Amino acid sequence: LTRYLARRLAFALFLVLAVSSASLVLARLAPGDFVSESLGTRVSREELAQARARYGLNKSVVAQYADWLAAAARLDFGDSMVYERPVRDLIPERAANTAILALTALLAATAVGLPLGIVSGSRRGGVLPGAIRATSLVLLSMPPLLTSLFLVFVAARTGWFPIAGMRSANVAGGATLDLLHHLVLPAAAIALPLAAMLERLQAQAMSEVVGEPFILAALARGVPRSRLVWRDGLKAALRPVAAIYGLIIGTLLSGSFAVEVITAWPGLGTLMLGALRTRDVFLVAGCAGAGAVFLAIGTLVSDLALGLVDPRASDAGADEARA
Amino acid sequence: LIALTPCAALAAGGCRAATPPESRAAGQAIPRGGELLVSLRSDPRSFNRHAARDSTTNTVATLMHAKLVRINQATQALEPILAERWTTAEDGRRFTIALRRDVVFSDGHPFTADDVVFGFEAAYDERTHSQLADGLMVGGKKLVVSAIDAHTVSVTFPEPFAPGIRILDNLTILPRHKLEQTLKAGTFIKAWGLDTPPSEMPGLGPFILERYIPGQRLVFARNPKYFAKAPDGGALPYLDRLVVEVIPDQSAELLRLESGQLDMMTGAIAPEAYAPLKRAADQGRVKLLDLGVSRNADGLWFNLKPGALGADPRAAWLQKDELRRAISMAVDRKVVADTVFLGAGVPVYGPETPANKQWYWEGTPQTPHDPAAAKALLATIGLADRDGDGLLEDAKNRPARFTLLTQKGRPNLERAVAVVRDQLKTIGLTVDVVLLDAPAVIDMLLNAKYDALYWNLDKSDLDPAINPDFWFTSGTSHAWNLQQPAPATEWERRIDELMRRQIASADAAERKRLYDDVQKIFAEHAPIVYFVAPRIYVAHSARVTNLTPAEAPPQLLWRPETVAIGR
Repeated sequence: LTRYLARRLAFALFLVLAVSSASLVLARLAPGDFVSESLGTRVSREELAQARARYGLNKSVVAQYADWLAAAARLDFGDSMVYERPVRDLIPERAANTAILALTALLAATAVGLPLGIVSGSRRGGVLPGAIRATSLVLLSMPPLLTSLFLVFVAARTGWFPIAGMRSANVAGGATLDLLHHLVLPAAAIALPLAAMLERLQAQAMSEVVGEPFILAALARGVPRSRLVWRDGLKAALRPVAAIYGLIIGTLLSGSFAVEVITAWPGLGTLMLGALRTRDVFLVAGCAGAGAVFLAIGTLVSDLALGLVDPRASDAGADEARA
Repeated sequence: LIALTPCAALAAGGCRAATPPESRAAGQAIPRGGELLVSLRSDPRSFNRHAARDSTTNTVATLMHAKLVRINQATQALEPILAERWTTAEDGRRFTIALRRDVVFSDGHPFTADDVVFGFEAAYDERTHSQLADGLMVGGKKLVVSAIDAHTVSVTFPEPFAPGIRILDNLTILPRHKLEQTLKAGTFIKAWGLDTPPSEMPGLGPFILERYIPGQRLVFARNPKYFAKAPDGGALPYLDRLVVEVIPDQSAELLRLESGQLDMMTGAIAPEAYAPLKRAADQGRVKLLDLGVSRNADGLWFNLKPGALGADPRAAWLQKDELRRAISMAVDRKVVADTVFLGAGVPVYGPETPANKQWYWEGTPQTPHDPAAAKALLATIGLADRDGDGLLEDAKNRPARFTLLTQKGRPNLERAVAVVRDQLKTIGLTVDVVLLDAPAVIDMLLNAKYDALYWNLDKSDLDPAINPDFWFTSGTSHAWNLQQPAPATEWERRIDELMRRQIASADAAERKRLYDDVQKIFAEHAPIVYFVAPRIYVAHSARVTNLTPAEAPPQLLWRPETVAIGR
């Protein structure tokens, strides 16, 4: 298992490096740079050249990338050109905010989507399964961006929830209730389509499991249907959901970016958007790398979850590690 | 049709809704205390105004710091702030400025002439690369500033400069006692980064920073040591606290304002936001102000750098005056106003809009919308429909086609280039629209790698003498052919000469006449074709009072010390 985890860790490092490197190189290759964005047309060509030299933008892409890579090996990911601060200092706080939002959305989506999937997948026909299925299809067809706009509109009309931000101005940091109040809207925007996806997956898996011979045999022996569905059936049907859980965690980040911008959630999304707009190449690379960390963690969690619900999967993993 | 629906609302409701700067009846007490909640689109880039020139950093500096003088954005008059009075020497180049004596920084340290001298040293220090330096130069040369005594400074201009100390509106005064060591060490530009503890950043402004939460908000408290007094002798600012929320999306900003979760947006509202805000204003939930026509208009220009097109055969017509004059005639400015600004715009024909009452040339020719005349003019430079397909070709039957570049993500510009493309198609010109983000557009402009560009060059001041970088051929904002070593054309050489005299003259009437001549030459050659200047609308909650709205940003917050919250 240790070797397996070591291999996963090595893969995660490779993923983070590859994503950050690609982001840095692409941001550098795009026309325009931070100096032209920040100084614009108001300074002379000589001053522009001096500024480019100051930020290392006078070097070739390859030379700048090599410098960055050497520094990254020492865990120095460069300084943000906009904020004049180390990227290493800027990322953690924003990543934590994104993680709070993404995990809340994931928990909410799981808590809502899986039970509804079991209900709709374990029954054939009926008003409730039909309503659940229809609602899921509507939600699935709405991207988080649209959902967040709709929820922002509802919040503005009703005044039930704050429209933007993470904390109220007059509440000291750490006020959990205030944070939860602010979380409702952006977390719901991400969680609703996600819950619909989980419901559909779980319903599909459950509908297949309830037709399995072991379920039919147990029913024939008089085991209560609800116990079969919620205990034995659920365990068997969780595998396909667990298998894609990691990917969901990874995509949660990109899904949350748009929602963060709409709802002014101070996470990686708003930071990366600003960095892209200003061609702050080191910050772009840092944000993308942080996104890759999310994906790597998600994949690992997915593997572990799969092992929990299906021991054959962990055996295969162990075999793979031994090989 | 969908685009025209809000147009009717905007044109009918907005254009008549001009609201003068708010004033209170004599004797009516202005409420004190309270907290104002405003929004900005992004975090500041630094707390050091020398390090960044973005609008958020500028607004934050307006709250925390003071200047020697300030241009009253509502009247355009120069107001003394930290300067108490000044005298001008006979030659008009040397100013002696007496400073207020009752001023201390928010940490209690006295403000003296040394702080003023330090401000200039910081701006001019070559290691600093200050963003304020170019705004404090005349003819590319530094001002000479010295302290005569603790409360008097001498400012000498390198050459005659008509606007005089008006350019000192560009200088934010920072505390020498806190920053002098960083300047000596060459690290001044990195000082006062976003992680600096607020207590380490004393200022002379009406507010002090209490807390900054990146990506969320800046909380300001009133500066109890602020020097300025209200007309009734009471302390300023009126507010106890001012909270700036960082809200990147304008839709969220608007909804928060409408629902009472925000007191004001610091910027102008987009045309498409007018209709919902008008409804909210009719219901008494917000106040909507029409601040009149903008001083800035979007413009279209071609790359006029000689040789920029290389061996491209289009060089024979792409850089001709006739092409630009034909475009000016072919585009219906009313359609641009209706489509781009939903009716809330006025036609513009030259570099000054009617907002610039002092310098606008009344004789500016009002180019009529005349597609037939435009086609006839294009025929004089060899562009005609030779194969009957409705599109123009040059003498060798190559299509008359060019690329029009603009900035992506700015709906006004994106809509405008679409209108221009469609309208030019009616006279047979084919336009390929390219949208790029701001750094890419600037890169293309700086390297003269474009056919035509549709963009907005904001004026920093209404006085043309403060915008020499636009007018002089050597200027960094001489958009159509930047930073020329020598004037490329005779008419540009004439403009250079007229502007040199205009800037140096002490006679206001002569300055006006000279600038009229400049605009006359500009109209003849149309290096930039202007179409429409938008009207500027701002909105704030009904509880905000004692505002002095102005057309230039930050429209409602340029004088933050006088803003109050009604009871």
